[in-house]
Amino acid sequence: MSIGTLLRRYGTLIGFALILAYFWINLPDTFMTARNWLNITQQLSMLMVVAAGMTIVMVMGDFDLSVGSAASLSGIVAGVLFAAGYPTWIAVGVALLGGLVGGAVNGVLVSFIGILPFVATLAMLTILSGAAFVLSGGKTISGASIPAEFAQFARGGIPLGEIGGVAVMLPNLTIVAACVVFAVWVLLEQTTFGRRLYAIGGNIEAAYLSGVAVRRLKLIAFALTGLSAAAAGLMYASRVASANPTQGSGLMLNAIAAVFLGMTMSEQGVPRILATVIGVLILGVLDNGLTQMSVDSYIRQILVGAIILLAVAASSFSKRLRR
Amino acid sequence: MSFLSLDNVQKAYAGVPALRRVSLTIEAGEIHALMGENGAGKSTLIKILAGVVAPDAADIRIDGKPVSIGSPHEAHRLGFRFIHQEFNVVPALSVAENIFMGRRYPTRAGVLVDWRTLNATARDALERLGITHIDPRRKMAQLSPGDQMLVRISSAFLSEPDAPARLYVMDEPTAALTRDESERLFRVLREIRSHGGSVLYVSHRLDEVMALCDRATVMRDGETIDTGRMADITHDDLVALMIGRKVADAYPPPATRRPGGTALGVRDLSAGDLRPVSFSLAEGEILGIAGLSGSGQRELVRALFGDLPMRGGSISLAGKPYRPFSPADAWQAGVAYVPRERRSEGLMLSRPIFENVTLAQLSRQSFGGSFLTPRAEQRFAAGLGADVRLRSTGPRQLAGELSGGNQQKVVFAKALSGNPRLLLLDEPTRGVDVGAKFDIYTIIRDMTEKGMAVILVSSDLPELIGMCDRIAVMREGAITEIVAAAGLREDDLLNRCYGRAPLAA
Repeated sequence: MSIGTLLRRYGTLIGFALILAYFWINLPDTFMTARNWLNITQQLSMLMVVAAGMTIVMVMGDFDLSVGSAASLSGIVAGVLFAAGYPTWIAVGVALLGGLVGGAVNGVLVSFIGILPFVATLAMLTILSGAAFVLSGGKTISGASIPAEFAQFARGGIPLGEIGGVAVMLPNLTIVAACVVFAVWVLLEQTTFGRRLYAIGGNIEAAYLSGVAVRRLKLIAFALTGLSAAAAGLMYASRVASANPTQGSGLMLNAIAAVFLGMTMSEQGVPRILATVIGVLILGVLDNGLTQMSVDSYIRQILVGAIILLAVAASSFSKRLRR
Repeated sequence: MSFLSLDNVQKAYAGVPALRRVSLTIEAGEIHALMGENGAGKSTLIKILAGVVAPDAADIRIDGKPVSIGSPHEAHRLGFRFIHQEFNVVPALSVAENIFMGRRYPTRAGVLVDWRTLNATARDALERLGITHIDPRRKMAQLSPGDQMLVRISSAFLSEPDAPARLYVMDEPTAALTRDESERLFRVLREIRSHGGSVLYVSHRLDEVMALCDRATVMRDGETIDTGRMADITHDDLVALMIGRKVADAYPPPATRRPGGTALGVRDLSAGDLRPVSFSLAEGEILGIAGLSGSGQRELVRALFGDLPMRGGSISLAGKPYRPFSPADAWQAGVAYVPRERRSEGLMLSRPIFENVTLAQLSRQSFGGSFLTPRAEQRFAAGLGADVRLRSTGPRQLAGELSGGNQQKVVFAKALSGNPRLLLLDEPTRGVDVGAKFDIYTIIRDMTEKGMAVILVSSDLPELIGMCDRIAVMREGAITEIVAAAGLREDDLLNRCYGRAPLAA
């Protein structure tokens, strides 16, 4: 294997290893510890869920800009229902169902009406965001109206024992994210559904002429992305024990960035769920390490953006060398 | 001294040689044919001439002086003009803008585009081809595929005083042209020759090449095999040189099996621009569809495949009513389709061969209709690949890495994956080399032996006559007649396509 091929396939992974090594050296006592890593997985669990859902539509060559506001809205829907006294399971169920329906609307706009995903989901972003403000009256829903069991969920986990006299546990949010990743992995890599999504991404016209029900599959894929966004919104709300109409807004760009980072690792430049997981980990680790090193959050943004550009540029450059 | 000479041209991709040792000389004032099967290295050689691909080694001389072609811009400056098979147009721009693609627009005051001169110059380029029916100001998207091809060709004839054209490289220029349009192009090429210009001409249509070209260079497996005068060589010798062996017949012998019961019955089917058509097709029979381009052939096939909604009429398949609403319905009913545009409609180039082959039958090739069984899929695809004589490194190779002929075999493997009752073929050998063509004909024959009914749409008249039992002639969206193929002469069939009375024998 030539150096070019090596760089193309593993460049992003090598970069990730370098980032890990850097933090390990500069934060020798705190970075490479079980506690910190469990903390990282919890911090990035919401992003992981959204990015997993985003991978489903990006496999087809589409994307969904509305996931952030869908996440915010689902938290608000649950919060409003909590405040109105509905039981937790109903509030959670309605919020998830809302995400599924919102995603399905995206799917109808894109596949049956034929609006470009960029335009359709951008409009949806605005609509869902507005709806979140209307429902909440622009205020954060918190305090007594959030049931204890809902708020406790994000703080709980499976006890793993003690390290240095302190109890450690596998956080519930991490478990949820792992389950979602596993489900998406099965769906995309092991089922005919996933294969057909990759076929659509490979050549939509050929897929259609080969009998793939393109429109129906697109609708389902967008609905699943919406569902994952709603799930992430609920996870967020549980973690901060409150719902705010803007709390999901950072998720969309990071999710797309994570999928792009993952795409740099695949031979054909197609999104793969496990590659997306690495992409999320890179973003999560950067955030965690830079925070620990007390790097200013604005500088952090610049660094993260530069690293994404570097990875994608290196990948497209090495692809061009192959000509 | 030759106008252009290439010597010892070598190029390898990732260690795999595409050109081993290639030599080519082109004289001023000749039309030179470059012949060879797909994968022989013609495209690579042309890309080197165009400055798109850098050779590993090459001695290129113009009028005896060494030159290097580092970029498309330099190729243009040297006077090279190219008509690529897959050269793209920009549908949203006007005809004139497409003709001027990549060239400097005429300007006024140095900055403003001089639209009047632009359009007039484009009109001149079109008129060189005798084209007066295309307005240079029209949007490219409004033109038929044939007219778009004419516009692309015209762009090579744009007069440019700063870099006068000396060599025209034409790669399959007539693939989308009618016979009249092709004839006009040939007239222009002969005129160029008479003025001392040169043409390097690539086409799989041997008759065309033999009639037009002065000399031919044959390539095989990345080497130039022979160069000779066209007058000294026969059709069969040329084919033998290209594929490296003798071929007895261009078409496999007709089926021994008599056509069986009715496979397909079509009554008063109308859809799109298709006027009511009726015909029936027996099991094991091949029905050809002939006609000038745009006479309704595509609509007929698309309606039978569920891609074009039926407006009226009825279809029966194996005795049962058949009314497809989507390609999925058609596959379900046992109808398979090989589309015209292999790359844009037939294949997912970035996916492995086996994923392409099993896509139409994925539910059957999976566990419980939902879970993938990639190993079984690969075995299945490898089996079908062997049936269609696919040459690949294995079912996991990417479809995009195959030559045109082998890509088409992948499309065939997909079409055959569900043992269809009815196979719809739309120009199945377009852009496919001689060797792969014969393989494809053999596959079609083998299938009819097993009772499959075939509809073959083709603009290649010898192919229709050589392969079909009967031929339906279409004109202006209707079937005007259905004739037996045996004993039919090419000129006779052509006259029927034009709607002229058959010549008195």
